[in-house]
Amino acid sequence: MFGQFGWHAITLLLLAARWTVLLSALAFALGGAAGFVVALLRTGRSPVLRGLSATYIEVVQGTPVLILLFVAYFGVALVGIDVPPLLAASIALTVFSSAYLGEIWRGCIDSIPRAQWEASESLAMTRWQQLRHIILPQAFRISLPPTVGFLVQLIKNTSVASLISMVELTREGQLIANATFRPLSTFVAVALIYFVLCFPLSKFSQTLERRLHVGRQS
Amino acid sequence: MSVVKAESVSKRFGELTVLSDVTFDVPKGRVVVIIGRSGSGKSTMLRCINGLEEINGGGLEVLGHAMPLAPKELRALRVEVGMVFQSYNLFPHMSVVENVTIAPRIVKGASRVEAREIAHHVLDQVGLGDKRNAMPEQLSGGQQQRVAIARSLAMQPQLMLFDEVTSALDPELTGEVLRVIGSLAREGMTMVLVTHEMGFAKNVANQVLFMHHGEIWESGPPDRLFSAPETPELQQFLNAGELRE
Repeated sequence: MFGQFGWHAITLLLLAARWTVLLSALAFALGGAAGFVVALLRTGRSPVLRGLSATYIEVVQGTPVLILLFVAYFGVALVGIDVPPLLAASIALTVFSSAYLGEIWRGCIDSIPRAQWEASESLAMTRWQQLRHIILPQAFRISLPPTVGFLVQLIKNTSVASLISMVELTREGQLIANATFRPLSTFVAVALIYFVLCFPLSKFSQTLERRLHVGRQS
Repeated sequence: MSVVKAESVSKRFGELTVLSDVTFDVPKGRVVVIIGRSGSGKSTMLRCINGLEEINGGGLEVLGHAMPLAPKELRALRVEVGMVFQSYNLFPHMSVVENVTIAPRIVKGASRVEAREIAHHVLDQVGLGDKRNAMPEQLSGGQQQRVAIARSLAMQPQLMLFDEVTSALDPELTGEVLRVIGSLAREGMTMVLVTHEMGFAKNVANQVLFMHHGEIWESGPPDRLFSAPETPELQQFLNAGELRE
């Protein structure tokens, strides 16, 4: 089909990158929502829920993303449901994100001084009011740089979806490399596209971090 | 009527007894000052009064409610009990006026307009009417502490607790904070203060409690307590203070 690696191949890669972006966005949004709940449970008052959320984080962080993906893909298929690769990959990466973001955000919540809890408690606020008005707004500010940093990791990790034949950026790269016998050019192009996706985010994260730091010192 | 009534209160942190057999009474409109060394249990006693710590034994009644209270009743009580901390503990992400209005708005359901009116009033009261829109980090320690007092006053409490509120301040900034507390006392606010400012205690207190090893070692009106301390522990404590000054 293609004799050589050219504009046509690059167009195909860019089109496939849409799936990488979509998968990252899905996993980030869903994983973020779930991670928020994990962080709240992890810092909550119920020892049972704290323990459960801690175990969840440990287990997911202790499992390679690839294995999470295989479990989602083959595990659900076992029940007799045919899982489309996008769905399986979304599930696996959502689980992955929820644990990491949950742990990142737990750290941010815990870093708010106890005195802030006590001051708001003394003003007769309920626990939810304390979180909503006092703790989370401060934790949110701190959480921005590591959260954006995690998003970069997530985008790169979507490449595992290639192993269940989801034709995202990496998988498209493999297909083109096989067809053109030009693996080096192909994968350099693939790497460049990942870089273009991730670099602005990394920069953004650094900017946020610097701005935050300056804010603290003044 | 007693605003606070403590009867043989005891409190332990694990094996460590921090309060034992503490009995005192704070009548309405009176100022009770607690003095004593670090670790003598003063702050813990104060924190028990608004339920930040739970007592382990004895009886503690605050505004007619017997502690400990269920969460909902405790919150209702805290509306009536203001607390000011050593380290101010302002909310750093909110402006001065937001710090002062947040609790009246979300806890007492005051409208934005009502809350603003209250805020302007209490900020004038602490002499910071011109700092409404400042952020806490732009204020001096003394100003921050006065905002913290205004924040408590905005809830229109019946009792105010002050936990070493000038200890974190530079000496030249303590005066402005003490003046605010002094004028509150003159207006008849019921207060319990933990402080190291002996001169101030002498001036505003109706009753002074000297705590030692978690007990009330000696108590009485300030004139007698400061001029004729009976126990060697209090004598030593007061002498050490004078040497420092």
